[in-house]
Amino acid sequence: MLHIDDLVVRYGSAVAIDGLSLHVEAGEMVALVGPNGAGKSTLINTVTGLLSPASGSVRCEGRVAQVPEGRQMFADMTVEDNLLLGGWSIRNRDLSEVFDLLPDLAGMRRRKAGRLSGGQQQMVAVGRALMARPDLLAIDELSLGLAPLVVAELAGHLRVLNRERGTAVLLVEQEVGLAFDVCARACVLEAGRVVASGPSASVAKSDAVRRAYFGDLGQEEAGQATMTEAVT
Amino acid sequence: MIRRIPPKAYLTALAGAAALVAPLVMNDLTFLMRMVLAAIVVTGLSLLMGYAGQASLGHGAFVAAGALTVALGTTRMGLPPLAVLLAAPFVAGAFALVVGPPLLRLRGHYLAFGTLALLLIVQTAMSAFDALGGAFGISGIPPFGVGNSIFVGQLPYVYLALGCLGLVLVLTHRIVHSRFGRGVRAFAGSETAAGSAGVPVMRSKVAIFAISGMYAGLAGALSAFFTPYVSSDSFPAVESFTYVIMAVVGGLGTVWGGVAGAVLVSTLLQVLNTVSSQPGLPPTTGPIMQYATYGALLVLALLFMPRGVVPTLDGAFDRLAARRRAGEPA
Amino acid sequence: MKELVTYLVSGIALGSSFALIGSGFVVVHRVTRVVNFAQGSIAVVGGMLSATLLGGRLPHGVAEPAAVAICGVVGLTVGFLALGRRGTPPLISLIVTLGVSMLISAAIIWLWGQDPVSPPGLDGSATLLGATVERQRLLVVGATVLAFAALALFFSRSYVGKALTASASNPFAARMVGIDVRRMGLLAFALAGMLGGLAGVLVAPTNAVSFYSDLPLALSGFAAAVFGGLVSPLRTLVGGLGLGIAGQLTAGYLNGSYQTEVALLLMLVIMIARSSTFVHEEAK
Repeated sequence: MLHIDDLVVRYGSAVAIDGLSLHVEAGEMVALVGPNGAGKSTLINTVTGLLSPASGSVRCEGRVAQVPEGRQMFADMTVEDNLLLGGWSIRNRDLSEVFDLLPDLAGMRRRKAGRLSGGQQQMVAVGRALMARPDLLAIDELSLGLAPLVVAELAGHLRVLNRERGTAVLLVEQEVGLAFDVCARACVLEAGRVVASGPSASVAKSDAVRRAYFGDLGQEEAGQATMTEAVT
Repeated sequence: MIRRIPPKAYLTALAGAAALVAPLVMNDLTFLMRMVLAAIVVTGLSLLMGYAGQASLGHGAFVAAGALTVALGTTRMGLPPLAVLLAAPFVAGAFALVVGPPLLRLRGHYLAFGTLALLLIVQTAMSAFDALGGAFGISGIPPFGVGNSIFVGQLPYVYLALGCLGLVLVLTHRIVHSRFGRGVRAFAGSETAAGSAGVPVMRSKVAIFAISGMYAGLAGALSAFFTPYVSSDSFPAVESFTYVIMAVVGGLGTVWGGVAGAVLVSTLLQVLNTVSSQPGLPPTTGPIMQYATYGALLVLALLFMPRGVVPTLDGAFDRLAARRRAGEPA
Repeated sequence: MKELVTYLVSGIALGSSFALIGSGFVVVHRVTRVVNFAQGSIAVVGGMLSATLLGGRLPHGVAEPAAVAICGVVGLTVGFLALGRRGTPPLISLIVTLGVSMLISAAIIWLWGQDPVSPPGLDGSATLLGATVERQRLLVVGATVLAFAALALFFSRSYVGKALTASASNPFAARMVGIDVRRMGLLAFALAGMLGGLAGVLVAPTNAVSFYSDLPLALSGFAAAVFGGLVSPLRTLVGGLGLGIAGQLTAGYLNGSYQTEVALLLMLVIMIARSSTFVHEEAK
């Protein structure tokens, strides 16, 4: 349902996404992992239309909603208002669906979003995205700054969402273990390209992941490794 | 081999020659004088707005300070004209130094409105206190002169003002190309970055504010000798807005932007003035034209030539020169 | 005592118009970070328009809302120019609105001339705590209370109002959920135009307006908005009323010609005292 072909995204003269292609099927959960500056957030922001491609194409059959990095609350507004505004694009003002899936939100609906804990805010961010009744949920850093228990709970909600509604998920995540656990498929990004892709279990064992997260290779070596892999 | 003179030096020489000849061939010297004085003020304002990223909507307050120095110094204290002319920029600069630190803690819009409020307060003070002229203003300012030679007619004042403008431009050129100037430009871009690079942001801001205040004070002093009358009505807010318009039209952050803006805007207004004072037109034509021109100039200049005339032409000039060099055989 | 009541009522009435103009500054600044210098000129247009419409035999109660609506359109036009190009820094937008306010001045002189204009308002006077008070001033206070209540309801209850608040609170997130932040900015300009127009319509019957009134009105409104840190309509209301009362008391007991300066001095003091908070707010 999401078709990204030969995508190039630039910030001024700096290339953030460099000829990337990626396809996500309806109802699929895909993890995007990779080192800082690999272009993961840029990719998410381009998929949701916040950034425009320099060349290539992004096509999505259905609605996309985003859970942004840093949660981006409307801090001085109530949880209820945050959720209502999530439905702005389709003028959806019915909160019951979201409260069914994330019942905790109902209890804090009158509280100011800026006063909530990080985990609660992340739940509001997910709920706000769901208000747009998305076919694809693009999540930028689900676990950042959250306690493991909270993350596990959120991940559980995502699985339920995917199973019951068939919502596809594109998950950018620093916590590789979590990403591979939640998503059946994974892509490794490096310098704006996909350098490895496949079932999470096999990607987890690949050189690309080891290089991105465990190996502390110098610039030159890393460059060589990429070259080699592209050739083979 | 003949050393190449940079093409822009020709332009500077041309401008200088025009300035020397203009007073002799133009018959409306009042207009020319006002234009030159505006150029002095706007050069300082352009420095403030362009290099320090700060706007002042009430620069007339410092013009007033300079003019008052001359008016009070000559009529009430009997000081010699040269002494008050030299003192005026420093009085205005000191005034800027006093009000600068609190005002400059405000940024952006707050500074713009704060300076405008300052101007209105200065106006009120001038009309309220007899020591500052009161309701009738200060008249009887003696002509400028040094020793026994005394200025007669308008011409010497125009040349004096032109000389002052030249001095101001040289000074501005040196400031812009100094270490201090580069530091100031840095904090126009990012205050945090400049602060962490060791530029004393607040002190530099106050310094540049004081310098622009000094220029304004100098212009005010010259105008007091020229007119020779100073009252609270001499510095209307709309004139301070005109300075901003000239600075924006000419181009912020350039040495020559103030001059270009003052010349262009003054000339345009003069032409419109002539047109609107034709017999048969209603008396409101003048103010309508004036306001419409100011408004249209600002809106159009900012929307379509946001960098101003001088940087835009400068860029075009450089491109032309580069193309010509590329065309020449090596 | 009688005197004091008279000064207080006229102060509150005048302060109400400051608050209306100031809330226009706030509404626009919150969403766009632009300070709309034309806000005072629009108030003048409002007063002039209501005079013309009433003279054109539109009845009271029709002419005034019509004038306010037209001011909304004028505000929208100002917004189009000020936000004209994407990425225009707010300070440049401020100077554009300064230009627009001059264009409006030209239009005012062209359409209405240079003399002050004062439309008929409510006739007669009422007695309040033993003091005689013009009924028009009471109308100003009542209309302002209604306008602020409507504004509060609009921002807190309506979907569009919430979207405006959201655009002010977090423009990135607003864009993300599909709110067209630029359109919200234009809407804010239109709303501010209506608020300014209302101020002009209300104030003109007791204080005649001319093209020359734009600057004092804009400055007084801005001063009121400064009390609210340029973000809070409610504190702007309080600030406007405070400035109005302080001005009228100065005029009544000290000297009539200093009331604007008292307001400006108060504004400067508050701006400077609170400048550290402003820097903080701007950084957000």
